[in-house]
Amino acid sequence: MAVPLGAFIAVSAVLFFIGTAGVLVRRNAVVILMSVELMLNATNLALVAFSRRYSSIDERGSVFVVFIFVVAAAEVAVGLAIVLSAYRNRPTVDVDEIRSMRG
Amino acid sequence: MYDFIEPALFAVLTIATIASGAGVILANRITTSALLMAFTFLNVAGMFLLLGAETVAMFQVLIYVGAITVLILYGVMFTPQSPRPYGLFFQTQKWWAALFVVPIAIFVALVSFTFRDSATLAPKGGDLLPLATSVFRDFAFPFEVASVLLLAAMVGAIVLVKRDEE
Repeated sequence: MAVPLGAFIAVSAVLFFIGTAGVLVRRNAVVILMSVELMLNATNLALVAFSRRYSSIDERGSVFVVFIFVVAAAEVAVGLAIVLSAYRNRPTVDVDEIRSMRG
Repeated sequence: MYDFIEPALFAVLTIATIASGAGVILANRITTSALLMAFTFLNVAGMFLLLGAETVAMFQVLIYVGAITVLILYGVMFTPQSPRPYGLFFQTQKWWAALFVVPIAIFVALVSFTFRDSATLAPKGGDLLPLATSVFRDFAFPFEVASVLLLAAMVGAIVLVKRDEE
């Protein structure tokens, strides 16, 4: 086991920041969903790394990863449904243009 | 003798993950973003394999590379390609952004590489048995709640997308 734990955590941090930058910079709602998926995946990587290196018997971190899989699947299904219904009301997926709920 | 294989694989996976992850938010075409996202997920699955979590890697390939990518591709198919892919802020504030990012990057690097590696290695024999034991014994109730959540999300997605008949 030659790769240190910190290397995995660093990759996870970089991937999380890439996802954050995507959410902040891109204005297409579908790309924002993709960036959120990248952030969730970075979290999964950190959880699995800690779980494999620190717990000797049970796999609590991997259990959390399985639940994150479930929540990510639900999130992307409902998110895409919201994007599609918003696109049906106004013909755009640019989140700067969808402002009918802005006060 | 073969100790160099694991760091070499890790280096390749790291470069591929970060490059394709950056490509997701930098690509102009949304289809390119979606396929690069699938490639990122595949590389993260390789990292799970390096960590010895084969079951999680299999779930990753099945759910992320398979299901979520197909769902996102359907979303790309049903929506138009935006003519203005980037937001209009951040372009004029490069130096402030750098001033903000560099301390955070240094802090993250320091914190990442100060973790004490545990002396006990992960147990041999894969992670399927401990994972299944944990899920179905200690986390049986959250497991059922997760199934209810998936059902509710599925029904909600259908109701949101369904056209009004009348």
